[in-house]
Amino acid sequence: MNAYFEFRNAVKLLCGELALERIPSELAALGSERPLLLSDAVLSKIGTLRLVQQAMESEGCPPAQVYTDIPVDSSLEVVNRIAALYRELDCDALVAVGGGSVIDTAKGVRLVLSQDTDDILALSGVENLPLGAHVPFIVVPTTAGTGSECTGVAVIRNDANGVKMEFLSPFVEPDAAVIDPRMTLGLPPKATASTGMDALCHAIEALTCLQANPLSSAYAMEAIRLIVRHLPEATRRGSNREARFAMALASTMAGIAFSNSMVGAVHAIGHALGGVCHVPHAVAMTILLPHVMAYNAERCAADYARLLPLLVGEERAAATLPAERALAAVEAVRALSARLSELCGLPLSLHAAGVENRLDFPRVAAVAVNDGALIVNPRAAGEEDVLAILNAAF
Amino acid sequence: MVVALVLRVVHAALTELQRLDSRVRRELEQMPEGMGYAVETGYRAPTLYVRWSGGQLQRCAAAPPAPCCALRLKNLPLAFLFCTGQMGVAQAYARHAFTISGDVADVMKLARLINLVEAYLFPPLITRRIMTDIPPLQVNPLRVYGGIAFGFLCNRYRLSR
Repeated sequence: MNAYFEFRNAVKLLCGELALERIPSELAALGSERPLLLSDAVLSKIGTLRLVQQAMESEGCPPAQVYTDIPVDSSLEVVNRIAALYRELDCDALVAVGGGSVIDTAKGVRLVLSQDTDDILALSGVENLPLGAHVPFIVVPTTAGTGSECTGVAVIRNDANGVKMEFLSPFVEPDAAVIDPRMTLGLPPKATASTGMDALCHAIEALTCLQANPLSSAYAMEAIRLIVRHLPEATRRGSNREARFAMALASTMAGIAFSNSMVGAVHAIGHALGGVCHVPHAVAMTILLPHVMAYNAERCAADYARLLPLLVGEERAAATLPAERALAAVEAVRALSARLSELCGLPLSLHAAGVENRLDFPRVAAVAVNDGALIVNPRAAGEEDVLAILNAAF
Repeated sequence: MVVALVLRVVHAALTELQRLDSRVRRELEQMPEGMGYAVETGYRAPTLYVRWSGGQLQRCAAAPPAPCCALRLKNLPLAFLFCTGQMGVAQAYARHAFTISGDVADVMKLARLINLVEAYLFPPLITRRIMTDIPPLQVNPLRVYGGIAFGFLCNRYRLSR
């Protein structure tokens, strides 16, 4: 155990049936009358955003403006533009409805507004900012994977160099997160599976990173239990509310876990793959997780052995020789990905995910070793190590 | 005083290792001209300000102008642990021992440089405790120590103007 650790989760969680309908009273409690609603075009098109708007309007709290031009890989420029819009419209709160990109963009906007600046780039760093002005902020996740509703980090693309930048500050955490099973009911099987694997990745990395602590590990273990039990069913039958709700909770718990213990090499390489090769984050996590677990296995033998009963059941875990449990856990994660792939066609290699050749791998490796997530990975990784992982995952 | 001395030695070691170790040379030479780093160790506590300019890592009297990445240890006791081989960079990060202002990618470069310096300056007994993996040494550490001692005698690590 670390000689010293910190743990924080200041986000109020509104979970379960009719949770969306609690947004107006929550905004009122936060002193807001003119919220800016942030989302993306897809959620607007498929009607998910409409559910939130209706919940807000029905209680006399319509958004001052709805902004849906947030792209899949949002950028610093988008953040600055939305912050300017917020000021122009004299809004008094942010409500973000979406997956990781929308939520992280909104976090960036909150940071810009609360620190009273125009450019988020000036705020980059780790735990370096003072509290700043309070900007009421509510998040409604529409995927069960990012856990971003409960994390103190925003990952935003810098278009100048194509690299995803991390902004680590407890003040990007929202005031409240709304976990309503209706938000993920319409998620297609492949997105359900990949975002669920992203949550699994958060939990496993949270459990094994250098910053892990007993509290974050407790959240991580429960998240893993829920994911293994419910992800295949949520992928197979998306209308199963119990499975959807369990996955949403698992994602949130994994988010709380990794916000306090950080993530490692899977995310460092995944961020770089997203920036350089445009592999979607959750897909990159799905593909890389077993490969990085294998790379870390020797250092994480005890933690992986702890995972095994959650992954394969108590009996099979007990029947596995202690020396073989770590690698058995890696194989169990590989088997879970393969099962999900059979259910929905989830890509299991970088080639299958659309990376045509290995020419960009040196650039990916060079970017990955400069990603902050790598510093807490249980095993150091240089460019050669990252290249080996990428080649294995190709 | 110990912290101030160690910070001076870190700068001296980086200067010597630029010559002796290809990884340090590569990291430094990839820095943009004028890139600065500030290592601060608490309120009214010792600092190290360096700037990459003209192919040299120059020691400065004050924090360099942007682009500059600042690593601030939260207090002097933490700085003491950090500077005396009782806590590595990754451990310090994991224990929230410092804040960072600037691009995290630049801190990763600094972290790799500090790891290399520690690998040369500290015996394996210490590095095994504070690093997840010890980078292999390209030259005998005695050459680094010797270079540093000679450098101090020649006043090679003086403040740049």
